[in-house]
Amino acid sequence: MVILLLVLLYGGTLLVSAYIGKKKENADGYMTAGNKVGFGISAASMTATWIWASSMYASATAGYTYGISGPIHYGLWGALMILFIYPFGKRIRAVAPKAHTLAEVMHARHGRSSQLMLAGSNIVGSVISLTSNFIAGGALVALLSPFSFGQGVLAVAVGVLMYTLWSGFRASVLTDFAQVVAMLGAVAIIIPVVFFAAGGPGMFEQGASNLTAQQSNFFSSDAFLNQGAPYIAAVLAYAIGNQTIAQRLFAVREDLIKKTFITATVGYGATVIGIGMVGVMALYLGVSPVGGDVNNLIPQMASTYLGPVLLSLFFVMILGALSSTADSDLSALSSIMMADVYGKNIAKKANPKTMLLVGRITMIVATAAALIFASQQMDILDLLVFVGALWGALVFPVIASFYWNKVTNKAFTTSVIVALAVFIPVRFSWFSMDGATGIVFDILSAAGIGIVLGLMVFGFFGLTPAKIVGALAAVVSAPFVIGFLHDYTVLTGSLVAYAVSTIICYLMSVRSNQSFDFALIKQRIGDYDPVADDGQATPDSETPDDDLDGSTLSARK
Amino acid sequence: METILLTVYVLIWPVIVAGVLWTVCRGFLKDWAESRKAGRSII
Repeated sequence: MVILLLVLLYGGTLLVSAYIGKKKENADGYMTAGNKVGFGISAASMTATWIWASSMYASATAGYTYGISGPIHYGLWGALMILFIYPFGKRIRAVAPKAHTLAEVMHARHGRSSQLMLAGSNIVGSVISLTSNFIAGGALVALLSPFSFGQGVLAVAVGVLMYTLWSGFRASVLTDFAQVVAMLGAVAIIIPVVFFAAGGPGMFEQGASNLTAQQSNFFSSDAFLNQGAPYIAAVLAYAIGNQTIAQRLFAVREDLIKKTFITATVGYGATVIGIGMVGVMALYLGVSPVGGDVNNLIPQMASTYLGPVLLSLFFVMILGALSSTADSDLSALSSIMMADVYGKNIAKKANPKTMLLVGRITMIVATAAALIFASQQMDILDLLVFVGALWGALVFPVIASFYWNKVTNKAFTTSVIVALAVFIPVRFSWFSMDGATGIVFDILSAAGIGIVLGLMVFGFFGLTPAKIVGALAAVVSAPFVIGFLHDYTVLTGSLVAYAVSTIICYLMSVRSNQSFDFALIKQRIGDYDPVADDGQATPDSETPDDDLDGSTLSARK
Repeated sequence: METILLTVYVLIWPVIVAGVLWTVCRGFLKDWAESRKAGRSII
C-alpha cells in the first residue's frame, strides 16, 4: 500500500512537471518563473513550502507538552513569519523587481561579503531543511510499512529530485498546488475524525485530570516562555534568512504580494495549529508516545483512530508536507548557486545554459549530501541554532539596507560577525551569567525586544511609530527581563544577536558619508536569459564588479 | 461551558483550513482559465 501511494504521489507530480517542462528551459524561469506567477499558485506554494513535516510534529509536541496553548505558541508565530515579511517584501520587490535571491540584492546594494554571508546562511539552512524532510520521510515509511528507514529516505529523495530537476522552481510551485490540496484537504478531514473517534467533547471532562494547571491554562507562562517567546524573537529572522520565501516573493506578480502572503499566513497557521490539536487530544486521553519519543505522537494517534483509507490520506498529508518543502529547498539552493555563486562571483558574463547546468548539478549534489546526512541520522538540527542566530544577526542590517542609504558594506559585515561572536558563548553558556555579566546581557536582551517589536511595527506603520513602540517595549520589558531572562539562554542568545548587530550597524552607518541611490539596484539586477518565457528579448543585467560600497557605485554611475 | 469552548477551539482550525483551501483552489482555477485564454503556460 505504501509503495502504491509513493508511486501515485511521485508519479503524479512527475507528470505535472512533464506537462510544463520545456526542451529549452529559461534560466530566469528556472529560478523565479519570470516574476509573474498568479495568486492561486503562489499562495498554495507559499503555504506548502512553509509547512514542513517537522512543523506538524513539533506543533503536536507543543500541544502534548504545554497543553491547550502549546499549538498556538508554535503555529501562530510561525504564521506571523510570513505576515511580517510582507511589508518588507513589497519594498524589496519595488527596489529589485527582477531579483532572483535576496543575497543577489545585497550584492547590488553592498558587494560580495554581505551577499556571501546571506547566501551562505541560506545554503546551510536549506540543506538542513532538506535533510530533516528526508529523515521525516524515512521515519514515516519505516513506521507504516515493512521497508527500512534507509529505503524510505532513498525513495523520498529520488521522488523529489525527479520532478524538480528539469524545470526547477516552475515545477516546484506547480506541484506545490497539488500537494497543498492534499495536505489541507487531509487536515480538514482528519482532525474532526480523530476528535470524534477519540470520544468527542467527553474527552475534555474525563481527561481533565491528565493536565497540570499550566497545561490547562490558555495563558500559560510556561508555554509562552519556553515555546512562544523564542519563536517571536525568530519571526523576522527566519523570514529574512529563508530563500524559499524570498524566491516566492520575487516570483509572484507584484500586485498580488499582499493577497498571497495573507492567505499563506492563515493557511499555515490554521493547518499547523490544527495538527497541534492532535497533541492536545493525546494529552487529554493520557496517551504515552511509543518509545517515549514525542515525534511518534501523530502517527500513533493516526494509526489508532483512523481506518485504512484515512490512514492513507494521513500518509499523503505528511508526504506532501515534506516533499513540497524539500522541492522548494532544492529550488532555493539551485538559485543561490546559479545567481549568487556562478552569476555574481564566477562568470564575467553569465551564460544562461551554463546557469541551468549549475542549477541542475546543484540539485543532484544537494540531494546526495542530504541523503548521506539523513541516512546516518546525523543530529544536524543543532546546526539550525547557529543558522538561526546568523539570521537573527542579519535582520537589521538586511532590512536597513533597503531603507537607509547610509548603511555600508563594512557596517553590514562587521555587525553580523560581532553579533554571532557574542551569541555563541551566550547560547552555550560558556561563561557564568552571575552578577553584573547577567545584568549586562539582560539589558541587551531588553534592547533586543525593543528592536524586534520596533522592526515589526516599522514594516507596517513606518519609522516614527516603530521608534515609539521599540522604545516603549524596551523600557516596559526591562523590569521583567533584568535579573531574570539570562537563565533562558535560547531566548537571551537570539535577543542579544538582534541587539548587537543593530547597535553596531547603526553606530557604524550613522556617521558614514555614503548616500546610496536605491535606483541603482534595479539597474544592476535584471534577467540573465536574453529570451524570456514569453519569447520576448530582455535587456542584460548590469552587475557590480567587486566589493563596492554604494558611494563608489554611485560615483561610477 | 468549558467543554463547549474546548470543542470549538479544536474544531475551528479544520474549518479555517477548508476556507483557505477553497480560496486557493478558486485562485488556481482563475489562473488556469486566464492562461488558457491567453494561450500561454500556467507557470
